[in-house]
Amino acid sequence: MYGREARQLVKELSSGENGQLKAFNSDMVDQVTKACSVHHLELQSLIRKIQEEGLDTQTTRNADHFGALIHHLALIRNKRCLMAYVYNRADSIRNLRWKVGNVLPQEIKGKLSHPEQEYFKNHDTALNLYMSALDLDLTVDFVPPKDPYIQVRVIDDIGEVFLSDKKTNLVCHSIHFLKRNDAEQYISQGLMEELMG
Amino acid sequence: MGHYYDIDDILIEEELVSVVFQKAANGVGILDPGAETSTVEQGSKVELPFWLAHELHLRQAVSVNVPACFDQKTRKEIQADAACVDLRNRCAYFYELGCKIAPLVGDKTIGALLLYAFKSRYKDVLIKAHTAAFSLAPKFMTLLTNEETNLYEAAQSSMAAFKRWRMGGARFQRAAVLGKKRRPDD
Repeated sequence: MYGREARQLVKELSSGENGQLKAFNSDMVDQVTKACSVHHLELQSLIRKIQEEGLDTQTTRNADHFGALIHHLALIRNKRCLMAYVYNRADSIRNLRWKVGNVLPQEIKGKLSHPEQEYFKNHDTALNLYMSALDLDLTVDFVPPKDPYIQVRVIDDIGEVFLSDKKTNLVCHSIHFLKRNDAEQYISQGLMEELMG
Repeated sequence: MGHYYDIDDILIEEELVSVVFQKAANGVGILDPGAETSTVEQGSKVELPFWLAHELHLRQAVSVNVPACFDQKTRKEIQADAACVDLRNRCAYFYELGCKIAPLVGDKTIGALLLYAFKSRYKDVLIKAHTAAFSLAPKFMTLLTNEETNLYEAAQSSMAAFKRWRMGGARFQRAAVLGKKRRPDD
């Protein structure tokens, strides 16, 4: 059946758990583009056949016309699936910048294709440029703050880092009282958790 | 008409519908498993995905039959006890496909059927989303179409958000994109 591979691609998007990316399926994308070329060739040969019979390609409605039409529709369908695949992934990639920060964890980075990694970097640059023009960090305080300081527990070895007010050693399982802004990126990366009093 | 990039809209249009070719078509023998040549003859009955059937129908190349999921048997079952009918098994996009197919087959009763089925099942979905324990949910979820599953999940997450708002709790959360458990093994 036509569009089988393209359907697989789109299915992959929908089967992922809420917004989680899967590895870029370049094999399948290649297969779909190949299918497109096949449709294109078939389409051309059918049109040529109509022309050779001396008929007008615009008005002829014979079996060749409908064959060509079906190949044409299949092409358009494949295109839509490919576009949807790339578009929806780009959507998630832009989200990554807001949720995870400007450095991607290795396991997510491995799932992106080269152009996608490039896209992430460009989006990061654009966002940074805008934020420096505004002189405002837009990526913090997604949850309205109640208190500027929160208590957190470190759940992964982070090591010694410079936070906005002091140098701190964030060892695994240690508990700290940090500025919200400092803690926020570590929590969203899954390296810390907030402790509730 | 859904959004061009909409994943669900694309998948709805993958549902197979049975059509009868009113015109012959050359060079597409793969569509008809029974065809001996590469030509689909006039009058052959073939299963096509909706996206193809729809466009061909607009050009009067095929006539579309009512899909099996809207047959008399299903209608009777829905009338008997709508909430217990396994619609997912019949068609994962029962409602959306119904809306798309109704104008093509000229069957005026499909609209009423969809409305009736949705009205009677919606109540059940909502109640179960608010009360059912997580362990009970999977069995009941297998009966739901994708549209209903979305509603179910929306109801559940809004209930969870409401509880979180009342009880208080961690306001920061790790990004959903990272998945539930992350064990870096490098």
